Amino acid sequence: MDFIFLVFSSFSLLADPVNFTYVVLGFVIGTIFAAIPGLTATLAMALLLPLTYSLSVETALMACASIYMAGMCGGSITAITINIPGAPSSMMTALDGYPMQQQGKGALALGHAALGSMIGGAVGAVLLIALAPFVAQLSLLVKTTGKFSLLAFALIVVVIAQRGRIPQAGLAACIGLMLATVGLDAMEPITRFTYGYSSLTAGIDLMPVIIGTFAIAEVLTQASARTDISAAAAAADNVKIRRRDFLPPLSDIRKIGFGCYFKSCLIGYFVGTLPGAGGSMGSFLAYTETVRTSDEPETFGKGNPKGIAASESANNAVCGGAMVPMLTFGIPGDPITAIMLGVLVINGIQPGPQLMADQAGLIAPMLAALLFSALVLIPLTLWLIGPYFIRIVSVRKDVLYAVIALLAVVGSYVATYSTFQMFMALGMGVLAFYLRRNGFPVITMLLGYILGPNLEEFLRRSLALSNGDPTTFFTNPDSLFFVGLTLVFVYFLVIRKPAKTPAVV
Amino acid sequence: MLLNRQIIFLYVTLAVSVGYLVTALSLGSPIAEGTLTPAFFPILVGGAAILFCSILIVQALRAAPETGPADEVRSYAHVWVVVAIFFYILAFKPLGYFLSSGLFVFALILLFSKFEKMVLKAIISAVIVGVAFVMFQQLFGVRLPTQWG
Repeated sequence: MDFIFLVFSSFSLLADPVNFTYVVLGFVIGTIFAAIPGLTATLAMALLLPLTYSLSVETALMACASIYMAGMCGGSITAITINIPGAPSSMMTALDGYPMQQQGKGALALGHAALGSMIGGAVGAVLLIALAPFVAQLSLLVKTTGKFSLLAFALIVVVIAQRGRIPQAGLAACIGLMLATVGLDAMEPITRFTYGYSSLTAGIDLMPVIIGTFAIAEVLTQASARTDISAAAAAADNVKIRRRDFLPPLSDIRKIGFGCYFKSCLIGYFVGTLPGAGGSMGSFLAYTETVRTSDEPETFGKGNPKGIAASESANNAVCGGAMVPMLTFGIPGDPITAIMLGVLVINGIQPGPQLMADQAGLIAPMLAALLFSALVLIPLTLWLIGPYFIRIVSVRKDVLYAVIALLAVVGSYVATYSTFQMFMALGMGVLAFYLRRNGFPVITMLLGYILGPNLEEFLRRSLALSNGDPTTFFTNPDSLFFVGLTLVFVYFLVIRKPAKTPAVV
Repeated sequence: MLLNRQIIFLYVTLAVSVGYLVTALSLGSPIAEGTLTPAFFPILVGGAAILFCSILIVQALRAAPETGPADEVRSYAHVWVVVAIFFYILAFKPLGYFLSSGLFVFALILLFSKFEKMVLKAIISAVIVGVAFVMFQQLFGVRLPTQWG
């Protein structure tokens, strides 16, 4: 209960002009990046990561929260108006949003998307605020062997969630783990895989990994693909949106029903807590569940606002869910929470069970910003600049990617004022580009890199405590729980061969 | 063509994984006096990487060879972007932020567009570099290398 009061008292921080500016600016930047096909809020956050050095941790985390929320709802703008989802999480929104646009109800579809995002974001944030302290308390019960099994569970789930490309995901995770082993060993004073380079003694820094993986790789992908968006830009020019059409009528909201919104929020939230699942999986599951339980399933895909409500409620509820494992166990649920984890690490804060207990004051403002973004910024942004957002598609790509490349390369210099980090970012960018190009999910590489050091440390500590007896992972109740959970996921995701779902990230 | 490129990528990854495993083995015995040494985990990871690589190579070789459309135009723009970033980093400190960044941004704008309206693009590059400088140095307190120290 104390934590809930702390979060609500943190709303006062939003009255500070600096915090307020960064939260609003973060939301606008996140929306712009999510709205432009090819760019994502993850990229926006990766580019802004170096700037967190000059901000207080609270401000940086609040800005991250608003970018995250914006990233989940911003993609619906182009998904609805020109049938090109700005972000993967808005894929399902396009199914009903674009037919509504074709029927002349585009603004109404945007209104439904904003309302769904608002409800989803708010429910996800409230569930996070209410449940995270309990999960944090439970996480304190997990001891060394349990921690290893938990991290192994997270990594295995991320790999097997990539249906149809599990070997690729496994190899990407191994590459991440390899990168994590570079530098000084955590338990003994021995350097590994530095090949004589003293700059590698401290290991590979998180900053160039994130900037390379998300920013430089994106520029290379765009340079390689040269997507022609002239048709999309022309279509965007023809779209006319009026503010008064945004408001969904009460009859529509009644027809969608509270149950649909709430069920989609719960699906999104719990999907978010799973490592590697993300917004696209959340919206897909909520959409299919809504179609399955609908009395008129034949109307979906033809402009049913219920489909938009389900998809957008779920993908915004993912934001709250994905932060649970990140804050309580230090396990990021998706690329954005991985970058948030980076913000914490850069500022010398170790995420994990103790974080909520010892440094709740740092976390509470972020959750307040998440709720504020959902309840205030989503509707306000749509109302104020909604009619003009569609013009974003027409932005000059040559200038855009030149700016992204400049910010990425200079941003990687900021951490240590060394060109070595810039070369590292370039190297990581090339690696991530080729991984993506060959169908390897980069999220598994990133999670391997992030979880690798703890995975190794807890493995070695567990076996040292049990005198080298590997059965310790099956005899300790906390560890056995996660081993069992891993087997359950392996059964449902690999052995049982479930229905095909969209690939993640 | 795509398949060939993929196999080449897998062979390169396999070679790196083997090199990683060899280095891991050179760290010493994975288990000493009943406890795991710093070599244990990398050996495990290197072994797993080789296993996954082998599976993917076998899968790729078994798959029917795919042939892309005959008129497929291969773009090498990404290679030029890598080259541009590499030389930008090399020139960043010796030339200073303004000159190196100006040339870099101008080069990237050209790579992402056509060789026309060069003056306009040069002006846009200068504006971008100036705005980024103000953002980094003035707003966020980051000291960037300049010719005047």
